[in-house]
Amino acid sequence: MTFHPEMRYEEGLHVSRRERRDEGEPFAFTPENRQRLEAIASHYPPEHRRSAVIPALYLVQDQQGYVTASAIRHVASVIGCTEAEVDDVVTYYAMFFRKPVGRYVIQVCRTLSCALRGAERVAAELKRALGVEVGQTDPTGTFTLMEMECLGACDRAPVVMVNNELWHECQSPDQVGAMLDGLREKGPAALTGCHLEVEKKRGPAGP
Amino acid sequence: MDTVTLTIDGRSITVAKGTTVLQAAIEHGIQIPYYCYHPALGIDGSCRVCLVKIEKMPKLQTACSTLCADGMVVDTQSPEVVEARAGVFEFLLINHPLDCPVCDKGGECPLQDYSYTFGPDASRMDFPRRTFDGEGAGADVDFGPTLLINRNRCILCSRCVRFMRDIDGDPQIGIEDRGNGSHIVTFQDKGVHSILSGNLMDVCPVGALLARDYRFKSRPWDNPIAVDTVCTLCAKGCSITAWLRAKPEWAKGPRLARVTPRYNPQVNDYWMCDIGRFEYHFTESDRRLRRPLRRTDDGVLQPEGWRGVLARLREEFEAADTPGERRTIAFLASAHASIEELVVLGQIARALNGEGAERQVGVSWRVSEKPQPAGTKFKVPRVDAPNVAGAIDLGVGAPPLEDGGPDLSALKAQVEAGRVDVLYVLDPGPAGSIGDLSWVIEARAQGRIRLLVVQGVLMTDLAAAADLVLPGATYLEKDACYTNEQGIVQAASRAIAPPGDAMEDWQILVNVGAALGAGVAWASTAEIRADVAAAMPDRPGYADLPRLAFAKPAIARTWLQTSNPSERWKWDALFKDLPPVKFKGKAETSPRRDLDD
Repeated sequence: MTFHPEMRYEEGLHVSRRERRDEGEPFAFTPENRQRLEAIASHYPPEHRRSAVIPALYLVQDQQGYVTASAIRHVASVIGCTEAEVDDVVTYYAMFFRKPVGRYVIQVCRTLSCALRGAERVAAELKRALGVEVGQTDPTGTFTLMEMECLGACDRAPVVMVNNELWHECQSPDQVGAMLDGLREKGPAALTGCHLEVEKKRGPAGP
Repeated sequence: MDTVTLTIDGRSITVAKGTTVLQAAIEHGIQIPYYCYHPALGIDGSCRVCLVKIEKMPKLQTACSTLCADGMVVDTQSPEVVEARAGVFEFLLINHPLDCPVCDKGGECPLQDYSYTFGPDASRMDFPRRTFDGEGAGADVDFGPTLLINRNRCILCSRCVRFMRDIDGDPQIGIEDRGNGSHIVTFQDKGVHSILSGNLMDVCPVGALLARDYRFKSRPWDNPIAVDTVCTLCAKGCSITAWLRAKPEWAKGPRLARVTPRYNPQVNDYWMCDIGRFEYHFTESDRRLRRPLRRTDDGVLQPEGWRGVLARLREEFEAADTPGERRTIAFLASAHASIEELVVLGQIARALNGEGAERQVGVSWRVSEKPQPAGTKFKVPRVDAPNVAGAIDLGVGAPPLEDGGPDLSALKAQVEAGRVDVLYVLDPGPAGSIGDLSWVIEARAQGRIRLLVVQGVLMTDLAAAADLVLPGATYLEKDACYTNEQGIVQAASRAIAPPGDAMEDWQILVNVGAALGAGVAWASTAEIRADVAAAMPDRPGYADLPRLAFAKPAIARTWLQTSNPSERWKWDALFKDLPPVKFKGKAETSPRRDLDD
């Protein structure tokens, strides 16, 4: 720009101590993910294409586990808004990770119903079993422990959500070890799943 | 137009349908505080200080987001409202540092004034304040080439976010995180890069967004004199207010403290660009011309009195090779020259070079691209001169080229052919605003021009190459009229006096005309304007020239008062030192009620 030539930026005088986002590897959607995004974006009118920002960020997490600055740039250019707007969304929602996470992100509900049914003890047991604090990843890189607000399955409290989509209900503190071992051995199949879906699969004549 | 009638504080008020309670209150001078509402940025409802009691509504409502309805009964002073409002102010000050003595906004800060008027006497907060980058002014961090941000002071009204989204058209600012950790950021701290960035400081209701240019320079009570004028640094002609420091002229430092936009719905709304806001400094820079200069036989520019310079000009002009003839003279004016100056210059050209010679006066300006987002609501023109339209209307100079640039081909050809003995250049704009005149400097160096006279304000390359330099006045130093790109004739008023021996440009031109025997006889700019009006009775803008008012320096109270008429009421009210509107209940007498229980 030609104006204000005497005002140079980044002189080092007033640099913020704020933590900047991990720049990360150069990011671009894989062709399959790009296709999935276009399919999602086609649900919205073309002038509101930016409404696909949350699905797009989920796809980023599918692809590389967490959201980096270069991924934000890519999403912004693909859905047609600015980086600042994507950044707003990423930092507002708890389900977008700004740092690398383990293969399974275990999110323990701590809102009222679950808390009454011992969610705090579940979290404490998980902390002990994994040797991590809330928000940390265990040394093997398999599990990340997080606490969440209401997950909406109060009738089967306490509830644990894994990787934003898998459910484990009626989790009692003494079953924590079994759940972790099951996840290690059998993967997501070890989880109980959402009882509504389970019942649906069994059909109306189920037990 | 449909109207609705409602009652606010017992007053029956009729407003247009679709008006909000807050707008109705503002229109009728009823005090409701607000931060996040801005007439140009719309409604957000995030600051919560405009709470009012509306009958038949169970909870208090934000006045800014409630539409007026027939028969509505609004109360802004009931104890319930007063207490709730005080509560909101207490919350706003939980994390807002009380560093007003080192804050640029101190003294003209809505948060300061409102907290005094509507807030509680003391805070009940026992925990330390949340900080982002340190304490006090140490928390001022980079926010782009023109701005600094202090996130501790921010009250998250989101006016800056909405300005970038709605007016600038490139949303570079966002709110990161949520809840207590929310703060204003740009992506990866790269800062705001926009030609409109200075407006963010204006819309910020607290001292969170600061202009590097004005930071720590002055306090509002140190620049009490304001002049309503017009910016002339591009073809838009924004209405501005120039703020003058209260100091004697001989004291050190500049008198101009800052330039802020003034509301003008026809031209610039509430905004102005960074060029006008930050580039006015050339008026009081070290490179200003203060005395007339004459090139001596040794080739050095030496100060000389006005008489000496004019006598020398006359000598040179009349010393022709052939006895009984004069040298040929050509004129070149920057489009920064005002209507009055162009009229005088055209008259001189006509008197010396014959009828129709004003067409041969070269009128020059610079055209520069300003990168702006496609959706911007405030387009900064490409032309960096205020009076291109005026020159066309007055018939001075050739019409512009198709790309908007000046057409100087005729003058250039004459100079290249060596047919111009004396070239008189009028350049009252900032350096470079006259466009690329290296061909003039070259022609003088090679002797194709015998005498180069430059009437200007800065020691530019052109002035350095001149034989005679006449110091003129900038747009802040003279009463003059300009026609902007929309064809609106506007008056730019004199804020300060020209430095040293410098004179107003029309006066210099009249003196030069007399020295050259051109016989121009105007005694004031008012006479020139009257003549223009008489010559163009069918052009409304010009016919009204004699009635155009020039502002005189006035004692200002705050910048909002002049920049934003919809906020003016609150300053009119608050600066009368109203008694605080406060809740006289338990909360005030026992500030630590929760701990005493």
